[in-house]
Amino acid sequence: MQEIIRQLDEKRAKARLGGGQKRIDAQHSKGKLTARERIELLLDEGSFEEWDMFKEHRCTEFGMEADHTPGDGVVIGYGTVNGRLVFVFSQDFTVFGGSLSETHAEKICKVMDHAMKVGAPVIGLNDSGGARIQEGVDSLGGYADVFQRNVMASGVVPQISLIMGPCAGGAVYSPAMTDFIFMVKDSSYMFVTGPEVVKTVTHEEVTAEELGGAVTHNTKSGVADLAFENDVEALMMTRRLIGFIPSSNREKAPTVPAIDPAERLDFSLDTLVPTNPNQPYDMKEVIIKMVDDGDFFELQPDYAKNIIIGFARMEGAPVGIVANQPLVLAGCLDIKSSIKAARFVRFCDAFNIPVVTLVDVPGFMPGTTQEYGGIIKHGAKLLYAYAECTVPKVTLITRKAYGGAYDVMSSKHLRGDVNFAWPSAEIAVMGPKGAVEIIFRGEKDDPAKLAQREAEYKARFANPFVAGARGFIDDVIMPHETRKRVCRSLSMLKNKELENPWRKHGNIPL
Amino acid sequence: MFKKILIANRGEIACRVIKTARKMGIATVAVHSEADKDALFVEMADEAVCIGPAASKESYLRMDKIIDACKQTGAEAVHPGYGFLSENAEFSRRLEEEGIKFIGPKHYSVAKMGDKIESKKLAIEAGVNTIPGYNDAIAGPAEAVEIAKKIGYPVMIKASAGGGGKGLRVAYNDQEAFEGFSSCVNEAKASFGDDRVFIEKYVLEPRHIEIQVLGDSHGNYVYLNERDCSIQRRHQKVIEEAPSPFVDPDMRKAMGEQAVALARAVNYESAGTVEFVVSGATKEFYFLEMNTRLQVEHPVTELITGLDLVEQMIRVAYGEKLPIAQADVKINGWSMECRINAEDPFRGFLPSTGRLVKFQAPTEIPGKVRVDTGVYEGGEISMFYDSMIAKLIVHGANREQAIERMRDALNAFVIRGISSNIPFQAALLQHPRFCSGNFNTGFIAEEYPQGFDASMVPHDDPALLAAVATFARLRYIDRAVQIDGQLAGHGRKVGSEWVVVMGGKQYPMSVLHTANGLDITHADKTYSIVSDWKFGDLLFQGTVNGAPICLQIERRGLRYRISHFGLQVEPIVMTERAAELLAMMPEKLPPDMSKFLLSPMPGLLRDICVAEGQEVKAGEKLAIIEAMKMENVLKAEQDGKVSKVVAKPGASLSVDEVIIEFE
Repeated sequence: MQEIIRQLDEKRAKARLGGGQKRIDAQHSKGKLTARERIELLLDEGSFEEWDMFKEHRCTEFGMEADHTPGDGVVIGYGTVNGRLVFVFSQDFTVFGGSLSETHAEKICKVMDHAMKVGAPVIGLNDSGGARIQEGVDSLGGYADVFQRNVMASGVVPQISLIMGPCAGGAVYSPAMTDFIFMVKDSSYMFVTGPEVVKTVTHEEVTAEELGGAVTHNTKSGVADLAFENDVEALMMTRRLIGFIPSSNREKAPTVPAIDPAERLDFSLDTLVPTNPNQPYDMKEVIIKMVDDGDFFELQPDYAKNIIIGFARMEGAPVGIVANQPLVLAGCLDIKSSIKAARFVRFCDAFNIPVVTLVDVPGFMPGTTQEYGGIIKHGAKLLYAYAECTVPKVTLITRKAYGGAYDVMSSKHLRGDVNFAWPSAEIAVMGPKGAVEIIFRGEKDDPAKLAQREAEYKARFANPFVAGARGFIDDVIMPHETRKRVCRSLSMLKNKELENPWRKHGNIPL
Repeated sequence: MFKKILIANRGEIACRVIKTARKMGIATVAVHSEADKDALFVEMADEAVCIGPAASKESYLRMDKIIDACKQTGAEAVHPGYGFLSENAEFSRRLEEEGIKFIGPKHYSVAKMGDKIESKKLAIEAGVNTIPGYNDAIAGPAEAVEIAKKIGYPVMIKASAGGGGKGLRVAYNDQEAFEGFSSCVNEAKASFGDDRVFIEKYVLEPRHIEIQVLGDSHGNYVYLNERDCSIQRRHQKVIEEAPSPFVDPDMRKAMGEQAVALARAVNYESAGTVEFVVSGATKEFYFLEMNTRLQVEHPVTELITGLDLVEQMIRVAYGEKLPIAQADVKINGWSMECRINAEDPFRGFLPSTGRLVKFQAPTEIPGKVRVDTGVYEGGEISMFYDSMIAKLIVHGANREQAIERMRDALNAFVIRGISSNIPFQAALLQHPRFCSGNFNTGFIAEEYPQGFDASMVPHDDPALLAAVATFARLRYIDRAVQIDGQLAGHGRKVGSEWVVVMGGKQYPMSVLHTANGLDITHADKTYSIVSDWKFGDLLFQGTVNGAPICLQIERRGLRYRISHFGLQVEPIVMTERAAELLAMMPEKLPPDMSKFLLSPMPGLLRDICVAEGQEVKAGEKLAIIEAMKMENVLKAEQDGKVSKVVAKPGASLSVDEVIIEFE
């Protein structure tokens, strides 16, 4: 017995050291923490329960039978974030470069299966050189086992991926199917094929950072949701994200005690929307002044900036915010912004998080780039997402809500529960100028008359009353009472029940 | 008394006049430009008349429209405030012709004092000390150089019709005199429609001290002590105080009597200011000019004398006698004013325009803290008018107490959405030389020769800010651990040891919960913090070890941005273990932006002065940006070659937008 305990201690010590001190130092010198250090920072102090510390690979090719490190390059288990259960796997780059073997994959599958059983999020800390080449097809099989579980878990338990090192080739598809991807600047990258292959095939010269670094995926591709300066900040912010989302689709989003009064008025919002309809303003100000404590957890802040998405709390309960941003491209919908918002709305819907939509949208972006890029189907994704969404939906039109984009942005017609408008709202088929030019085409050579028609159109339609008269708008509210009115609406909707008809699954225009 | 008066001005001074009129039971009429239709003074006035588009030339400077507005509303008198038409003799005369009272001096007094050359002659006649200089009209730059040489450098070239630092140049040599003359003439023409300039000796180590005078239509005059306005940045006053730490009673009497003599010489009726330049070494004082209007900094005089100058102006204009004689004028304590400007002190004081996302002035306390402002939260700082958005005025029993009150008040002044000079003001108020009172108008240029940056804001206890950050972090955690859905019995154990990472340094902190706050200890020093601060509050108020504290704090991602005494820090609070691991991370160097010319402010790109492929020398003009009526020249910081001109003239630029790339 004593001997076994001694051996256990020895094995534990060896496992904890991963690939050895030298490799740990190398990891640190690259600005990266080790797999275990990362878990320490992610979870509440002392809460980590590790599993499969002694698991080893079964490969016998290429002399691998002599090369064993307990744990096989991934640390798995569970713990808590502010007392709430989460499952975690953390790839250890110091062991076989974090490469994925059959057994490594089995460990990941183990936590995913448990997470599904008990209904808790899975957080993956990715730092892997890719497949364990020595294992060949066993390794590929391992990836697919993980992929399958990612898909089965999608919409059942939240899945968060932190990319904290290399993540290339097939390995990218596991994070790709999770709900959120966070990356660390300068030390992480994701791509399907690396710079060398790119050079051979397309003769493009590109660095790994340019091809798939944190900045690339947070600004150009939209693959990632946030970028951080270092591992510590990425992990601290992940803890914060978890505070906004429920443990599974069986639960409501977690609340904290509310301090910010629901009745708080903010008169400065009354002057936010400029009188000139072509002058932009910052929609984030509405968000910051509306939500609890002015605390907004924005996602994808540097991608498709014409739409804003993120989490906040209203009276302590999480909400998802979707808002057009008039500061960028006049807040119009285009391919990127439609996809960005659609995915977010679907996440909120899957996980019982009410959606608050702030609308100032002049329409869809015109042009060949958009049409050839398939704006029809991509725009339809956002429409689909809102239409299928059954969580409480509160919508506020601050200024323009024109044309099809009006319909898309959580309108009454797409089962918006409460639809508000500010007095500055203009709900119409298009802006006054464009409308007049079509309706009074015959008068196009008479600018004075056209100007008069435009003024008439403006007086008749550029206001919230026409939509109000039809009940498309439930009420016109003053900007200063936005928080109060939205809080009340969400509170009224707390026990909303709505189910879509049974089907195997819908066919969202992918 | 008048039943109704019109205020021919905007912003804080219009609000200021309306307040007094209201107190006196007089109805008020505001005139405003289209850009000001939602301004505070328009809201405050009983009636408002729009007199034209945003540009001052088409609105606030249009006498005809203002006179029409008087007739339309039945206003019996006009208060002109400062700037705009306040020192325009023609305006004053035309009002008189229309039978409308001008709340200010008679047009002949304005005319005589408004002309710098004329006023100097009058001063000499009245026995007022004047500076050696050349008082006649100057034909051209060449003659200007000759005159400058005769007087001896340095010389000052100044627009006859100028004021407030506009249209003023200092030349140290022939070339500067030549160029300064030309640009001064141009600016004078553009700003005042009067291109005459004069040249005089530039007094070194000068203090700017001015005497407030008040006269009535019955030949009575008093001087209301002095104001020291020596703290100036590029000839713009920054901090004003009364009394002056430099002036003794004899000097005050001598200066005051000369000021009254001059006022008497032009039959001055109303409030006016006689400006002197005073030599810091010899105590000699020379007459500079007389401002025939209410000054921006008049509140410091009001706070030490107990008089309402606007009320006195109105009463005098109505024909009343002054209620006091010279013997009644006393000095009660010390008063100080900070001009709060919409400008970015960390970007060379470039103007900052835009929406006031947050604007919370410190609480006014009668006799202690006063805020004169014309803006409000949610309002717009437009590019059409000057950048002063508020005046913060304090009063104390003595100078030390006034300084302390000003520091505290600045801590509580919340402005977001635009940049303000508050950090700079706070740094000045901490500066030992300012506190000693031993300074002159060169103070800012001498103490901040390379401009102002964040490292120039002293703070004697940064650990205090780290402790406050810890307090905020624990408030956050206290709530975070109350989240629902926890594993029963397996809640998070919140430790007592924390580390604040701030400015590249780590501050270990031990936290102890007390009955009503936290005891936070760093390196043997304990900060007992008590505060009812909650998330979302920008002001953190409470006590530290029993002493009151007020600072500004807001969450920015994982960091807290804390501002205190002008210092801004962005600490991040983490567990000991996280800090230990963070310390192992290599420090990332900020990206090298020296290869780019970035726009330092939002504005209109007027001109690109270089071409692609051109070699440039450090200091060479690269581009001109226009913002807030001001043309800002961007110069090369180092030698280099232009590889690409990215922005086109006419483009409107945002902050940090790339204008030019270098090789």
